[in-house]
Amino acid sequence: MPCWRMEKSKRRTRIVVRIEIATLINRDGKINRRKMDRLAMVLSNLNNSGKQIIVVSSGAIVLGSEKLGLSNIPSAKIDMQAMAAVGQAELIRSYQRSFDEYGQIVAQVLVTSDIVDYPQRMENTRNTFDMLLSMNILPIVNENDPVSTTDIELDDNYPLALKVANITGADFIVIKSPDNGNYDIVAGNNQPVIHAEDEISLQEGIEDLCCRDARMASHPREIVFPASMEMIYSR
Amino acid sequence: MKFRENLKSKNRIVVKIGTSSLSFPNGRINFHRIEKLARILSQLRKKGMQVVLVTSGAIGVGAARIGMTERPRELPRKQALAAIGQAELIKIYQKFFEEYNQLVAQVLLTRDVVEEPERNRNAKRTLARLLEMELIPIINENDTIATHEIEFGDNDTLSAIVACLVEAGLLIILSDIDGLYSADPHTDPAAEIIHSVHDITPELEKLASGAGSSFSTGGMVTKISAARICQQAGVDCIIASGSDPAVILEILEGKKIGTHFVAGPPSVIQNESLQK
Repeated sequence: MPCWRMEKSKRRTRIVVRIEIATLINRDGKINRRKMDRLAMVLSNLNNSGKQIIVVSSGAIVLGSEKLGLSNIPSAKIDMQAMAAVGQAELIRSYQRSFDEYGQIVAQVLVTSDIVDYPQRMENTRNTFDMLLSMNILPIVNENDPVSTTDIELDDNYPLALKVANITGADFIVIKSPDNGNYDIVAGNNQPVIHAEDEISLQEGIEDLCCRDARMASHPREIVFPASMEMIYSR
Repeated sequence: MKFRENLKSKNRIVVKIGTSSLSFPNGRINFHRIEKLARILSQLRKKGMQVVLVTSGAIGVGAARIGMTERPRELPRKQALAAIGQAELIKIYQKFFEEYNQLVAQVLLTRDVVEEPERNRNAKRTLARLLEMELIPIINENDTIATHEIEFGDNDTLSAIVACLVEAGLLIILSDIDGLYSADPHTDPAAEIIHSVHDITPELEKLASGAGSSFSTGGMVTKISAARICQQAGVDCIIASGSDPAVILEILEGKKIGTHFVAGPPSVIQNESLQK
């Protein structure tokens, strides 16, 4: 049963959804349209139910390599950066196509991982997210790899999802598992991870947490999320 | 004319196109214009040239996408629209360039690409690699995370910085202004286009401040400052009208189009003027 208390309060529940591209592509490196459409449907639905959704998705390098017809993903950093520049356009285009099916407009937000070192930049990024979400737009975030000076995080984009969750003051992080496509809801503050086997139980799990949260949080508080995937699953 | 002849041999060029050249006066996107731009740049690439495109237009496209009719004023709203519009804009470019079998790459830059040496080297390397791979990098400012009103001031400055980053021989700035005029063409019927500039003097700058367009972000002033960055770096710069992207070809044929800010070490320019 949906909980209306949270929806009635001024602040809407904010959820960062972390997607690894491996969960959405076929073996040939091409996007699996059925899977991406399904994901877009679920997230559009969550958005419709009053939640604010931010997607953090990897995939630019993989799609760039596929686009250029490479049989393998290059290993040199410079080549990965070039692939990312080619593939990011492709990635956002694919998402947009799927979300368009459900009338959901998306926006592309590219950040570098050192964003947290620049308070002014962080503030501006937070404002951009707030504005997009208030306009019911779904931001799709990725690392700005072509200009990144730090190491490129090819498949583990959890650190980026964590940064985005912290910057935007998200309530939960949802992780789509690459192994079985299931969802894990990370509620932070040392609460147990909730596993959702399908989209319906994901929606239910989130409603459930919103109710619990509405009871617990009468005042704004800092949510501390686990700093790594290992920490999430070791508990 | 000798300086125009030099443009024929340019092998690596940066083309900057402004919002006013990409859209109709009502702010909606002009597909025909983009299609032609894509065709011409792809053609140059196929001839063996290296081409970089610096584009504006994300905010306008974003506004159109969500059915907004007015251009927003507040920064957060502009940034939000840029995030929506950039996704759409790169999709449109990708579509048209692919019709001419040309792959593109999206590179979004922030101000620190100039200020931080490591980021500078890094961006330089990535762009060089993309050009080596025969791709056309499509560059815009990363408005979403920019910290000031618009960090580069406008994309004119960004395009000059990019021209330096890729060590281009020529920067072509296309906008709704067909060049620098000797007087304000709106008020003075005797106003003539200045085809060639060797020195950006204070008088010239004063001239530029009067003849700006009210629609584009930059107007002439930012174009002059872009031209100065280019001149100092030894990059030729042409300011011309973007109403027909075919001017790019004519410029590369050495035709007398727009205003040419001639690059070159100061000594060379002095020698030239002495000969005159």
